[in-house]
Amino acid sequence: MTTETNLAASYRFRTHTNRIGLWLFILSDAFVFGGLLVARFYLYPGQRPELDQMVGLLVTAILLVSSFFMNRAETAMAHGDQKNFLRGTLITIVLGIIFLVGVVGVEWRIAHFRPWDSAMGSLFYVMTGFHAFHVLTGVIFLGIIYRNGRRGLYSAERHFPVEAAAVYWHFVDVVWVFFYPALYLMGRVI
Amino acid sequence: MDNTSKKQELFRAGLVIFFLLAILTVGEFLIGAIAVGWAAPLFGIALLKAALIVRDYMHLPRLFAGEEESHE
Repeated sequence: MTTETNLAASYRFRTHTNRIGLWLFILSDAFVFGGLLVARFYLYPGQRPELDQMVGLLVTAILLVSSFFMNRAETAMAHGDQKNFLRGTLITIVLGIIFLVGVVGVEWRIAHFRPWDSAMGSLFYVMTGFHAFHVLTGVIFLGIIYRNGRRGLYSAERHFPVEAAAVYWHFVDVVWVFFYPALYLMGRVI
Repeated sequence: MDNTSKKQELFRAGLVIFFLLAILTVGEFLIGAIAVGWAAPLFGIALLKAALIVRDYMHLPRLFAGEEESHE
């Protein structure tokens, strides 16, 4: 076996191990969001806060589109397509920032209640705030892989950080997939 | 299949998933607007959307693939 083959085999092994670690982290994080979701339905079964439906739908759509571009960026890098990787990552970053502005800058501002008003108020701000914090860290993570991508640090064979950033970003989307109906659609308005 | 065609095929697959997710999102929005007490269908749609993302965007099957094929 040549040294190059050995290095490639070693990288594949490390990637496999890193992937297990990444998914364990995702699983542990999912329990926190799951706890918030359970608290929301335990405290207010059949009820929901009064929120702007259009803002909810818009931020959901933005996150969905960002996931599409992130998937495109990761696929591009896995095939050595640097240009589409950079473009997809940049679009995802921009959409992530727009999502943050939509939730924290718009929805929080126009909501008819504050965190200290009621348990529902606390839940709404904790759920959206904790999720927004994950979006923010995702944007930072994407910023790092974008910078590294521009420096040419990734290739079709070696790009686990891109995969990790993509999986994290999609996880943030999965969380919102449950938070959106739980906060905006399920139950009667209080 | 060469690298470019494989990439294009995966791009298309990503687009199909995106459209499915978009249709499901519009569906849940309409259900939420029309039927107030329908929590079960909304939860079902959310589960379906999550399953699509986890399988096709997060590539969960890669986790269970061997070291050799997990990069595909």
